[in-house]
Amino acid sequence: MTNETTFQAVIRSASLWHIWSRLGLQDVRLKFRRSAIGPAWPFVNLAVMVLSIGFIYANLLGQNPREFIPYLTIGMILWGYLTSSIVDGGNALIHAEGYIKQISLPIYVYIFRSFVSISVTTLITMCAFVIVAAMYRVPLGPATVLAVPGLVMVMAASLLLITIFAHLNARFRDVAHIGAVSMQVLFYVTPVIFPAALLRHRRDLSLVIELNPMYHLLEVVRQPLLHAAAAGWHSYAAVAAVIAVLAVTAAAVIATFQRRIVFAL
Amino acid sequence: MPHIQLDHVNLEFQVGAERHDTVKSVLRNGLGRRRVEARTVKALRDVTLSIRSGERVGLIGHNGAGKSSLLKVMAGIYPPQRGTVHTEGHVCPLFEFVTGFEMEATGWENIRTRALLLGMSPKEIDQKIDDIAAFSNLREFLDIPVRHYSSGMFVRLAFATSTAVDPQILLLDEVMAAGDAAFIESARHRMNELMERANVVVFASHSLDVLPTFCDRTILLRHGQVVIDGPTAEVVGFYTSEESARA
Repeated sequence: MTNETTFQAVIRSASLWHIWSRLGLQDVRLKFRRSAIGPAWPFVNLAVMVLSIGFIYANLLGQNPREFIPYLTIGMILWGYLTSSIVDGGNALIHAEGYIKQISLPIYVYIFRSFVSISVTTLITMCAFVIVAAMYRVPLGPATVLAVPGLVMVMAASLLLITIFAHLNARFRDVAHIGAVSMQVLFYVTPVIFPAALLRHRRDLSLVIELNPMYHLLEVVRQPLLHAAAAGWHSYAAVAAVIAVLAVTAAAVIATFQRRIVFAL
Repeated sequence: MPHIQLDHVNLEFQVGAERHDTVKSVLRNGLGRRRVEARTVKALRDVTLSIRSGERVGLIGHNGAGKSSLLKVMAGIYPPQRGTVHTEGHVCPLFEFVTGFEMEATGWENIRTRALLLGMSPKEIDQKIDDIAAFSNLREFLDIPVRHYSSGMFVRLAFATSTAVDPQILLLDEVMAAGDAAFIESARHRMNELMERANVVVFASHSLDVLPTFCDRTILLRHGQVVIDGPTAEVVGFYTSEESARA
């Protein structure tokens, strides 16, 4: 309705879960429907990356593959999740242009739709970690379940990133490209394909990881899964701060663009 | 009671400015060089009107007169820059029939998705899906992806689904049916049923012979302004006499 506030529109969008969950799941299904191996593709993709990077870097960096391969696998999965929240999520509203201009649903429905499809794709690839973890006998313990709240935090960050980039990118079409380039740079400074300990040994470089929000987002899932232990308290604090900053930014972006977005499409 | 109230609604589109903005152009315009004057197209100018429960209203006017813009403002799709829009009741815009259809999905899947987008609840869809399937007359083709359909089959499915809604406020834009002659006849019948079910109907059309049979009130738009708003026969008479005077 035109006579509702933005806040009400967001709430109403969330309550229309049967619409956005269906659209999001349909996006996942259709992506794989006509390919011969279907949902196995993300696994193949990941396997090729992990095997090629894994064995070279394990040797290069003098790492034990038994620890390094599971570390690399979960890191790549989470990194892919955050990257696609920015790059694919950045197109959430642009790709929904046909819907937005023809159907009177609040636009946030299409943000949630994108969140569902990106998150479900990630959860499917998570199964790859389970296989790798079993192969390399990654330790399990009661603290392993801490990965769940960690993952919830990463998902919250994903939803907020999608919201921010979908709005900005609808208005300024090069924002998703800037996001993609930034993620590429961050990839090389964040411990994903090399262990954090390598940087920590270097006093002058340790700040690069401590101040890197991406590192902490990975840690809150990676530590419980790899070592059956909670991540450091400062990682949780950093993630809480990241989510707070993203939430404020998302609220500001929504408030700024909400009435203009349909004209920008 | 479902109703629509528009007060001094102004809608404009920035052509060229909002569409092609990049970070670079904003930086450049912000820092130094003057912003290139954007062309503004006024789609609606100071439109005030009220449509009460039970009314059936026709919209006429040339292409670009503002009919579609007015419908989209009523639907809440375009927020006006000035003026207020107040609607009460479930608004169902039916400007086309195919948004939400996925070529790779089957007929059944597409019925469900499209129906959800139009505001039907899952329970309502369960009740209506057999009727939709029956009207589409596609039978076993509903099990295969829509990609394999002929355009006639596709239109039948889209039309059957879209016309199954029970809207309180129905907004229609130049609805036309395709397909064979028998389908057009049954489509017209089904369309009429849909319009009877709705509490409020606003109907943009070029077919001046259809309007009087359905709408008691008609609004003539020109350059985004309401020219005349009154009983259909009167407004259509005014419009055609003006047209012949011009010719």
